[in-house]
Amino acid sequence: MKRFDRDTEGRLTAAADGDEIAVIQTLAAQVADLVTSGTQADPAITRLLPDAYRDDAEASAEFRRFTTGALTERKVRNATAVIRSLDDAANSGIITLDGEAVQAWLRTLTDIRLTIAVRLNIATEDDEAGSDIDPMMRDIYDWLGFIQNSLVEALDA
Amino acid sequence: MPQTLEYVETNMSLSSASPWITLVWNDPVNLMSYVSYVFRSYFGYSHAEAERLMLQVHVDGRAVVATGSREEMERHVEALHDFGLWATLTKADA
Repeated sequence: MKRFDRDTEGRLTAAADGDEIAVIQTLAAQVADLVTSGTQADPAITRLLPDAYRDDAEASAEFRRFTTGALTERKVRNATAVIRSLDDAANSGIITLDGEAVQAWLRTLTDIRLTIAVRLNIATEDDEAGSDIDPMMRDIYDWLGFIQNSLVEALDA
Repeated sequence: MPQTLEYVETNMSLSSASPWITLVWNDPVNLMSYVSYVFRSYFGYSHAEAERLMLQVHVDGRAVVATGSREEMERHVEALHDFGLWATLTKADA
């Protein structure tokens, strides 16, 4: 998969093959599933929906009570939009994103990378942790970062 | 009636004498380009200011990205969690 570029109509486009499409669709579906069925006992959930107050558990719980439902719904909607845009790309081999879809992609790629980082115990920017545990997942993590960076750069271009 | 409204507004700004702040914390996952993009697109910061704040997060481990009422800061924190950034709010003098 190459970097995203802006087309003449202002949409962002990138070529992707079937394997790449399948990987992102699978991970997006897993993140949607995680946020709807996961509990706070899972560190990935507490990273996707972190405490709003560092030193006030009660206020954090109150904040969660008012925000978790809407945030979860938006995360699922974003993941669904990503999956749909990849369905559309399955025949043409070209992913085409309008402004709204780009926002869904930025957020879902972030949610996926945050989750992988928790699973691989990636704790610092230079951390190569995870490469021994699951080199393929580590490669996917870096690859998704490349895609996200290219989206941001294409938006700025 | 206009006087009443003015009074309420003045009163509200007085009551926020001790403001709240929104903090963004460094994490090893989010790309510098993305964090800077979020600061620009969500808060409307200039490119230079967004880069400054992003680098502050990166180097110092955190940065104050907004100041105001508790309700406003809670809205910002929710929006930043939506972007996947690690954000919290606290009293400015805490």
